[in-house]
This record gives sequence, structure tokens and C-alpha cells, in this order.
Amino acid sequence: MSSLKRITKELNDLGRDPPTSCSAGPVGDDVYHWQASIMGPPDSPYAGGVFFLSIHFPTDYPFKPPKISFTTKIYHPNINANGNICLDILKDQWSPALTISKVLLSICSLLTDANPDDPLVPEIAHLYKTDRAKYEATAREWTKKYAI
Amino acid sequence: MSISVKLVAAESLNRRDVFRSPDPFAVLTIDGSQTKSTAAAKKTLNPYWNEVFQFKNVSENSILTVQVFDQKKFKKKDQGFLGVVNVRIGDILGHLDEDTATSNGRAREETITRDLKRSNDGLSVSGRIILVLTVLPRAGSRNGAAGAAGSAVAGSGAARQSDSMTNASTIDNRLIAQTVANNLQTTTLDNQDSANAAGTASSGSGAGSSDAAPSGQPSTAQSQSSASRQYSSFEDQYGRLPPGWERRTDNFGRTYYVDHNTRTTTWKRPTLDQSEVQRVNTELERRQHRGRTLPDGGAQSEGSSSSNVAVHTGTGSQTPAVNGSAAATFAATGGTTSGLGELPPGWEQRFTPEGRAYFVDHNTRTTTWVDPRRQQYIRTYGPSTNTIQQQPVSQLGPLPSGWEMRLTNTARVYFVDHNTKTTTWDDPRLPSSLDQNVPQYKRDFRRKVIYFRSQPALRILPGQCHIRVRRKNIFEDSYQEIMRQTPEDLKKRLMIKFDGEEGLDYGGVSREFFFLLSHEMFNPFYCLFEYSAHDNYTIQINPNSGINPEHLNYFKFIGRVVGLGVFHRRFLDAFFVGALYKMMLRKKVVLQDMEGVDSEVYNSLKWILENSIDGILDLTFNVDDERFGELVVVDLKPNGREIEVTDENKKEYVELYTQWRIADRVQEQFKAFMDGFNELVPEDLVNVFDERELELLIGGIAEIDVEDWKKHTDYRGYQESDEVIQWFWKCITEWDNEQRARLLQFTTGTSRIPVNGFKDLQGSDGPRRFTIEKAGEVQQLPKSHTCFNRVDLPPYTDYESFKQKLTLAVEETIGFGQE
Repeated sequence: MSSLKRITKELNDLGRDPPTSCSAGPVGDDVYHWQASIMGPPDSPYAGGVFFLSIHFPTDYPFKPPKISFTTKIYHPNINANGNICLDILKDQWSPALTISKVLLSICSLLTDANPDDPLVPEIAHLYKTDRAKYEATAREWTKKYAI
Repeated sequence: MSISVKLVAAESLNRRDVFRSPDPFAVLTIDGSQTKSTAAAKKTLNPYWNEVFQFKNVSENSILTVQVFDQKKFKKKDQGFLGVVNVRIGDILGHLDEDTATSNGRAREETITRDLKRSNDGLSVSGRIILVLTVLPRAGSRNGAAGAAGSAVAGSGAARQSDSMTNASTIDNRLIAQTVANNLQTTTLDNQDSANAAGTASSGSGAGSSDAAPSGQPSTAQSQSSASRQYSSFEDQYGRLPPGWERRTDNFGRTYYVDHNTRTTTWKRPTLDQSEVQRVNTELERRQHRGRTLPDGGAQSEGSSSSNVAVHTGTGSQTPAVNGSAAATFAATGGTTSGLGELPPGWEQRFTPEGRAYFVDHNTRTTTWVDPRRQQYIRTYGPSTNTIQQQPVSQLGPLPSGWEMRLTNTARVYFVDHNTKTTTWDDPRLPSSLDQNVPQYKRDFRRKVIYFRSQPALRILPGQCHIRVRRKNIFEDSYQEIMRQTPEDLKKRLMIKFDGEEGLDYGGVSREFFFLLSHEMFNPFYCLFEYSAHDNYTIQINPNSGINPEHLNYFKFIGRVVGLGVFHRRFLDAFFVGALYKMMLRKKVVLQDMEGVDSEVYNSLKWILENSIDGILDLTFNVDDERFGELVVVDLKPNGREIEVTDENKKEYVELYTQWRIADRVQEQFKAFMDGFNELVPEDLVNVFDERELELLIGGIAEIDVEDWKKHTDYRGYQESDEVIQWFWKCITEWDNEQRARLLQFTTGTSRIPVNGFKDLQGSDGPRRFTIEKAGEVQQLPKSHTCFNRVDLPPYTDYESFKQKLTLAVEETIGFGQE
């Protein structure tokens, strides 16, 4: 198959059975470039925020993972200032059976449960581990400032 | 004996930079084994060190080497080299006998000034150094030791005893060690040259440093001097040698004699009547060389490989008889005479600036370290001649099975390998005298290389191939120069010239040329090659190279350059993905090869094979290929886009996809590349190698720094103190560079090490240090994961089985990417 066919199929599946709290679709005519949004999980300091992400599919998708990054600023140990996400399924744990829908759900759960032991931003990870309250306050503050 | 060396100062060092002066420091070495270094003087061309160093176990034959470097540039390629001085201790201090160590109760002391000499790199050097050498009497004998050191120090209040390298605190000790190792090579080779000149069968470039320190122990390993081994090199059990003569031992423990009066050497102890015999023998030798005809001598290439002569010499074994009857004497002609007799016609002996002898063959315009006469001595003084017994050929042991020694009609020894039906000048029992960097430990590869290079198609043609380039424009200039010539022209002796630079190409210039050019032409900037997704140093053909409409001509050019390097025995500083070497050998690429190309794709394809895809993946036998933003559907087999991939046929799909991904989509470029390559190296010849050996053939084997490697290695499941890990490093330390390189190929997919060492090792997902993981059963072989630069070692229970299993895994596993 071609990546085009696969991406189109994923788009159709998303329309037919949209996941809760996420949405995704092509930006314009280019099927290889999508935009997605994630609602901040209610039980997290990101609650109430809407976070946008950009998705680029490589031509050899799904043999290679999509490139996903946050376009909305977010305070999180595994997401850096450029919006890059440190998530294993987007790297060496990628499998061709994964879909955008599944990846977005994984990102949602990353917002609820950060992984401070494999941080992209060590300072935030440190705060997360040593002063959770302060971390949550800052995350809430950023959410309010950038995502609402 | 012990001596002290005071390095007082250097003056008028060469100014390499217009605007700043160097921070010179000096490294002192005795016989390559004892090393000391001075502190760096700051910003001066006239450094004043005034430091005293003591060296133990020094003999008259010991060579003191003093190298001067610029500390600021020490980590650069040329190490900021500012010059070298080699001094034979005996030349300065004379006999180091116990009773002459002191005269009138005072330590003997000599102050000398020596001009700095160049190294092989040919960087210009100027200035001189001032040294004070002092003999230190044995400890306890008189009161001299302290006094001697004291007197040396007395020269200046600022002088310091520095027995260690602590001064050079900012200098990487490892580099010093390397430098010294290199230097050791140089020093010992200097000695060996004399040995070679004396007709030993040692091969200059091949001899390792460990077995080559004859001057350090002048009295060891002499077969015929039975009991007493304490003679100085100017005497033996028969008494003192004639004036100007010296006794030395080569690296096979054989004694030879140097006549400093005539600068010749001989196996025979010089006495009056024997020197007469010697003279006759010399003349016989001379006659042999005079009468020497090489049926195709014009095609003789650099020393070691020209087995072509041998083919014509079925009657060679008759020669000794002829030789014996030849009583005529000939007048000596010119300065090339040594104890060996005259050089063959058209040959000349020259000396490098360091005084190392080399040989110029004007017939073929080539140079070699190997004395063209050396092989004959095995015969001349071999077991058939009873007069000389100390260097019988049999000392080397029997030839390997299937080998035979023969003589050409000019009485030169050559070797027949009946296993491969090939011949070579190289004695298979000796270290190879091929390019220094060609591996020597594994007979298979060495023999393959010898066989390969002995093929007529790889013989240098008569004439010269001139290539003139501008350094700054080396890519374009080389393209013009190399593409305008025919492949036949390119097979002639390479004469590379950099515009505006002096220097004849006797090897160094062309090495530099291939080095610079490989950096340019493989630079991803030109879009001809790209880095693999695995790391940022292995390269592969860029499928989008067509953005340059001329790209196929460039690929042909690059193929020619790679072929040129192999043909002329120069190494490229470039490392391809493993799959490309396989393709060069016309081998089918398989899924494992994908690991070194793109590990994400590799993992996905592997996932497909290992998991059920029915109803999960919706694949057909086609791919999307992006060509400059446009997507093109490519069928992997006829009408592929209509054929679904199922669990039944997915294996075929993975094969076809791999083939397309690695080979098919760069087919045009690869064909052009191979067209160029095969113009110099015929396809069927290169096929003797496997893909790993081909990598070594093209790129050579680098010096591998085990300490650096160890420092930047991670462990999983093991501690550094664990037995298996200790064994691992013990084994690596024992191995030579080729074996180490092969372990790297096994573990990381390439023998290349990043320029800055192991700390910069890259995996498929960024920096990945070399990793050893505890995994597997003790009866299994080690496994590797090239994506992660990881080797899995089962917890073996003894060193022998550990070593045997690791060796087997590394040497016998063909193909990159072991899973």
C-alpha cells in the first residue's frame, strides 16, 4: 500500500469513530500534514486548556513514525520549548500497527502521568519530583496563559 | 647504565603562524619505551626548559628521541609538530662500560646541539635543541649518581627533576602515548633499516614495535654467544671488533655487524681474512644484480606485490651453481653499495630526513622501504652455505601448508601458494610488508590481499599519471583531472601535485589527496551521498542526487576514485553503510542490512514478519517514493499496487521492499559508481573479499584507542569489575587493530570511530555509547545490536571459552547487523 492510502484510511476512521478529547485532520490540501488538538485531561494541571499539535507524516509512513510536536506552549517534563515530545512510541517503540488516534491518546496520558525519569526538560522533571505542588502551579499558570 | 638528559633549550623554531608563537614542549623517549616530557614554554620560538630527566637501562645503542610539539596544536592532526632529533647514545657518550662511566671520579657529561629534523609529513622544520647527556654510575658505586644529577641541575636554579609527565598537565597523555608509539616505530625502524641492509628478511613496515627493539638489548638472543651476554656492542667473546665496527642484533635475534667506516653492514664478524671472503661474496652479489633481468620489470610495483616475475622463473633454482662459478669481480659503482652488494639496475637507496633508508626504483618510479636485495640473503647465506650459520632461514619455522619457496633466475626468493595458485615476494611467515595499515593477523585476509594485489589487472602500468589540483578546489579539479584520463592512464604511477606546493609524490602527497578528496566528494552537502539514518558518519547514495543533472557522471567519477584508491593502495577516509559494500560485491541485500540504513524501517519490517498483519495493516506490493515533493507510486512487482500483502506473502514483500529501499532506488547512481570502480578494479577480483573486508580494503584500519573505548562504554547487567568485563577488555587489549575493527563492525556496523573518539559514537536515535549487556546462555555466541552499538555477552565462566566465542562471533559472522 501507499502511505497515502493508509493516511486516508486513518482519517476516515477518525471521522467515523472520533476519540474523546482529541481531534485531528489535514491542515490544507496536503494529506501528509495534519493539525491535531488535545483537551487538557481533567485530572491534570492542564485541565481546561486546548493544546494544538502539528503532525507530519513521512512518505514511508507507517514504517516510520509520524513527527508530532506541540504548537501550543506547555509546561511538562517531557515536552520542551519547541514542542518536541519525548515519547517512546514516537521513537524506538514505534510499530506500524500504531495509528494517529492511538498516539494522541498516549500523549493525553503523558499529560496526566509525566515520565520524569526520562525527561526532555531536566529542570521541570526535577521540580516534578521534588516539589509537585509548585510544578502543578506553574503548569496551570502556563495552561491559563497559553492554552485557554 | 643510567643516564640523565638535560634538555636545556631550543632555538629558532619554525614559525607556523604569522601572528602567534607556539607553546613548545618536548617529549623525550629512549628506545621507545621510556618517555618523559617537559612543561610547555609559553609563546616562544626559543623555549628554555632546562629540565633534567633520568633514563635507566640505557646502552650505547639506545636511541634518544626528542620531539618538539606546539601544545596548543597537540590535538590537531600534525600535533603541532616542530621537529625531531634522534641521537644514538653511544655516538655521544661512547662506550657505556662500567669502568668508563666516570673519568677521574666525575660523571662523564656531553653537551650537544642538534638541528631539528622533519618527520615524514614533510612539514618544514627549523631550529635546534641543546642537550646535556650525563652518564650516571650504578647506584652505590662511588658517589657519582647524585653528583651527576646535581651537576646537571647546577646549571640553573630553575632546573627541575621531572621523572613523570606531570608537567604536561593540560596535554592529553593518551596523545603523548600515541606519539611515542609512532615514534617508537620510527626509531626501531631506523634500526631495522640497518638490519635490512644487512640482509635480514625482516620487512620494514610490517614489523611490530614489540619485537623490534634490538638496540635496547644489544646482547640478548644471540644464538652463538653462549654463556656470557654482557659484551658491549663493540666486542664479543673473540675480543674487540676492529675500529669503527659495531655488533648489532636484528629483531630476529641474529647478529650482524655495522662498519661505520664505510656505512655498510654484514653478517660476518669482521676479521682480516673474513673480510676478504666478504668482498668476494659482495662481488658475487653485485654480479647477480648486474645480470638481473626482469621479464616484465617495467610493471614491477611497490616492492611487495610484484609476483609477476616469479611466473617466468621455473629454472631459478639453478642459479646458485652459476653463482658459485662466477669469480669475476666488478668495480664498485657509486654510493649505493652496502654489505649486500649493489642494488639492482635502476634502483637507488635514499634517506628520509630522519635518516631512514628507502629505495627508489627508477624503472617504475616507485619507492619502497623494502631493500630489493634483502631476500637474496636468505639464499646466499642460507643452510646451503656453511660459513654463515647465525641466520638460517629455518629460524622462521616451516612455511605454512601449501606454500613453497622458490628462486627466480635472478636468485631472488619468492613464494608459491599452491592453495590459491598464486605467488608473492612476501614470506608468509613474516609480517606483511604491504601498506602499514593493512591488517596482518588474519591469514585469510592477508592472503586475500596478497592474492588480490598480485593479480595482473592490478599491476601498475609503466608511465606516470599526473593529477594536479588546487587544494581549495579539490573536488572539481579532481573531477576534471580524473575524468579526462583513460582508465589505463589512471593505472600508471600516480603523481599528485597540489597547485603551488612543492613536494614530489612518493606516497605522502597522494595520501593527503585521497584524504582531502574523500572528505569533499562524500560530503552530503553535494547531495551525492547522505548519512544513513543510523548515525552521522556512515554514508549511502542519496536517492535524490538527481537534483544535480550531472550526478551520474559524478558517481562514475567517485567510483573511479574509490577504485583508484584500492588500485594504488591509498585509503579513503569514508565509510559506507554495510549494505553498499555488499552491493559492490553483487550480493543480495537482506533485511538485516536495513538496520544500518534506517533502523526505524528495519524495526517496522521486522514487526511485520513477527506479527500477524491481516486486518491490521492494509499493505499492497507498492511504495510511495517522494521525488522532489512529488509522490510516485512504485510497484514492487508487476501490478503490485493491486496485490494485497498477507501473512502468507509478507516475507516476499519485506524482501522486495528492502531491495527497493536499499538498492533499486539508487540503481542508476550505483551503476555509474560501479562502472567507474570497475574500470580500475575488475569485478571478479574484488569478489574474493567479503563486505567487511572490503570496508577495510577501502578505508584501511584505524588505530583504535582501547583506553578511550573503555572510558566510554556502558554496562547493562554487568559491572565494570565483573569478570566477563575484565576478560572483555583483556581480550581487546590483546587483539590487534584489525580484530578490534572487526569487533566494531560486528557491534556498530562499521569499523569507523568518530573523529573525537568513542564518546561521539552514534546510534540510530542519537548518541549511543558502546554498550555491553548481560544476555544469553553461556553456550551461545555473543550477539550484537548495531542499532544500539550493543553487544550481548552471556556470563561465560572462563576466559578461554569467552575469548574463543567472541573471536568466533566477530570473525565468522558474515553480514552486518547481527540480531
